[in-house]
Amino acid sequence: MSRQFDLNDDGLVVIIGSGAGGGTLANELAQKGIRSVVLEAGKRFTMEDIENDEWGMFNKISWLDQRNLVGPSRLAEDFPHLPAWIVKGVGGSTIHWAGVAMRFQEHEFKMKTLNGAIPGANVEDWPLSLQDLEPYYALAERKMGVCGTEATGMPFHGKSTHYQVIEAGANRIGARCEQAHLAINTRPFDGRAPCQVTGFCMQGCRFGAKWSTMYTEIPKAEATGNVEVRPNCMALRIEHDRDGKATGVLYVDADGVEQFQKARLVAVAANSIESPRLLLNSASSLFPDGLANSSGQVGKNYMTHVTGGSYAEFDHPVHMERSTVVPGIVKEWDDNDPSRGHVGGYELEALHLGLPFMAAFLDPGAANGWGRQFARSMENYSRMAGFWICGEDLALETNRITLHPTERDPYGLPVPVVHKADHDNDTRMRNHAYRMSKELFTAIGAHHVNDLPPYPASHNMGTNRMHANARDGVVNQWGQSHDIDNLFISDGSQFTSSGTENPTLTIVALTIRQAEYIAERMTRGEL
Amino acid sequence: MTASPRVTLSRRRFLSLTGALAAGGLALGATGLWPRWALAEPALARRLLRLGRDIYPHESIEDRYYLASLSPLLEEQRDAVATGLDDLDRRARAAHGSDYAGIEDDAEREVLLQEIQHTPFFAQVKGNLLMGIYNNPDLWPLFGYGGSSWEQGGYRHRGFDATPDWL
Repeated sequence: MSRQFDLNDDGLVVIIGSGAGGGTLANELAQKGIRSVVLEAGKRFTMEDIENDEWGMFNKISWLDQRNLVGPSRLAEDFPHLPAWIVKGVGGSTIHWAGVAMRFQEHEFKMKTLNGAIPGANVEDWPLSLQDLEPYYALAERKMGVCGTEATGMPFHGKSTHYQVIEAGANRIGARCEQAHLAINTRPFDGRAPCQVTGFCMQGCRFGAKWSTMYTEIPKAEATGNVEVRPNCMALRIEHDRDGKATGVLYVDADGVEQFQKARLVAVAANSIESPRLLLNSASSLFPDGLANSSGQVGKNYMTHVTGGSYAEFDHPVHMERSTVVPGIVKEWDDNDPSRGHVGGYELEALHLGLPFMAAFLDPGAANGWGRQFARSMENYSRMAGFWICGEDLALETNRITLHPTERDPYGLPVPVVHKADHDNDTRMRNHAYRMSKELFTAIGAHHVNDLPPYPASHNMGTNRMHANARDGVVNQWGQSHDIDNLFISDGSQFTSSGTENPTLTIVALTIRQAEYIAERMTRGEL
Repeated sequence: MTASPRVTLSRRRFLSLTGALAAGGLALGATGLWPRWALAEPALARRLLRLGRDIYPHESIEDRYYLASLSPLLEEQRDAVATGLDDLDRRARAAHGSDYAGIEDDAEREVLLQEIQHTPFFAQVKGNLLMGIYNNPDLWPLFGYGGSSWEQGGYRHRGFDATPDWL
């Protein structure tokens, strides 16, 4: 259980959020003897709370606080109050992630150098390279138990039927296809069971085979005696002294009482909507535009990956749900080849939905997804195979998180407004992905292929981005804010660009590196 | 590894399950398992059934599943539902001189539904059916969906890597 720290203890690190970033940071610091308090807005779940039930778990664990999604997109029409599909609870979205753990490719750290300035976009290079991150990727893979890597030596999961269907299609059209690197055990690892293939990775892993800070980093951190996790605690604002140094965090505790926790250092890891929201809500006379926002980039460059779905219907059974959720990935188009009509790459990730979610996402929205063709497709559920498209999403200044001028949430905080629109590059990429998916599936006999529009984003990035210059970004290569030395960002909002890969492994690698940096600077008395 | 029996659930099997269910339904009487509100107002129930079966037309699914899906809506907003159905009938009479349920051509009814698909009435009926039909474990076998699997140890030893014989 958690040790308890005093509200007036100003020697603590205060971490906001307990997911891939916050949960990992707490444990990494704890192992080095650095004490922290983790403020988590959600509750603590147990393994018994995890069910193989799509809607049941959606309602139980999702972040459903009021958010407004605006912008010219079908997503905004279909889901006006659910821009993101992420988790509220101890463990954050690592409870719900599919476990896909891929490293960024070298070119993805320098998209501006590679492609030059792209009109209408705000693309920049990262202040670090793949070489800088490689040792930390290896540490992250080892920590998380990523199969198919040198770091663990764990084998892949074996080819599920769903994977075999997709591999056959890829082979037919000459597209590169690989089993997925998943942070899901294929043999007992780190005191956790191997995968039993329930097919419900995204509802939380009942067996704990998938890495989640809920039952790895958090309990390990607590066991050191250096960490106190406070569930049901919503951060309201970060306070600072007259020199502009962060002094602590004002929050509402589980009993609805406002508390102020003093801090030596504050690390924000609340995901890419809440993290910038907190910085903006912390505006003061010294920082009228919000904390760490001298660049004006806080909340901007919101990226979600270019997504969509492609689900094919065959004459023969597939039973895609009898598989890890993402058994494999077609990587043929993961490179930066502008001759395709778009910059940046995309991946076609074999991914199944259960019947309840397929019904909701095949043609989403209150007015859509009904009638004879829809019902025929649903009757073909057991003969479906499909992809979730995941591609590089360009940073746009206009895709951003702002605070609603009048609407308030139950904490009295302005409701976040999320503006998200496609850049032409995004649209061209998505259409290319639909076309290639259809070609792949048709090559092995699909008689109907459904193009699914994007659904609420689980990959949320970029709203407190890294940049070498304080003028163009919010944090430096260690996630330390350019403006305030003892204020760090420890989640995907640091990302300068989205890459095509699922973000979690990169968040964990960056966090391990950040923890090293914080510990060194603290030892030297610089923080 | 061999596939479990359900892997081979085919279109034919889907339809034969249909037959089995329909026979069971008849044995109990066509309205025997209808929810209370539907037994009290069978005319309203039949109008809603026509609508529900046009939104999610599955021959193999019995009436009672459509009606049960709509029970919460009927209990909370009976009058709004009746108003919505009246509006649909008015549109049907204007276009075809017949109540909605009296129009025999599926496609003609579908066109009428397209006219009202953006109304709150349609969204509510559809939303309730979406959960009642596709999120109903009783009906998942008809679709070949396995549902919760952890109690059976997942598919690790139950054919997750079965090789499709049709590739």
